[in-house]
Amino acid sequence: MKTEYLILLAAVGFFPFILSFDRKLGMYRQTGALLKAIALVCLSFWIWDIAATARGHWWFNDAYVLGLSVLGLPIEEWLFFVVVSFVSIFTWESTKFFLGRKQ
Amino acid sequence: MKEYTLWAASSVVVVVVLDRVMGTRLLARKTYWIFLAVMFGFKILVNGYLTWRPIVLYGREFFLDLRLFTIPAEDFLFGFSLITLSVVLWEHFKAKEER
Repeated sequence: MKTEYLILLAAVGFFPFILSFDRKLGMYRQTGALLKAIALVCLSFWIWDIAATARGHWWFNDAYVLGLSVLGLPIEEWLFFVVVSFVSIFTWESTKFFLGRKQ
Repeated sequence: MKEYTLWAASSVVVVVVLDRVMGTRLLARKTYWIFLAVMFGFKILVNGYLTWRPIVLYGREFFLDLRLFTIPAEDFLFGFSLITLSVVLWEHFKAKEER
């Protein structure tokens, strides 16, 4: 199924995205910092991924991606870093919250 | 040369050094290691799926081909760097905004 990688990303990002609006976490109060962090992570890892894919470190199975590629990377792979950096930050905030913000 | 192995190991060094020089010092906090364990739990599911289908395939000459289930060892270094850099930068920019 060509949509499989995209569905996987949606499954990973859906609940973290919804729950990030929880007032107790209050992530929306720091949207600027959030966007800056995600942008910088994406930039670094896009560069790595473009180079690695060009070198042949890894490649993607045509059966599971939509088939739209930019600089050798399927659009799903570009999105991967947006989703994973966001989910990491959300999980970090949740971990701090559940541990009672003990350091 | 095992290029993926080298690049992934280098990224870990860069991120660990960044955490120190930027002053976030997350790796010195117990909360961070609990968070990382949680993330690696989810990571094994997602990365496992990606490599089991497989959605992503690897060039034999560029990595060690040591795997946990279907996941290459290098993917754990890659994952560490991606996850850790995300929270280091987030804490950095958050502290800057609050100042």
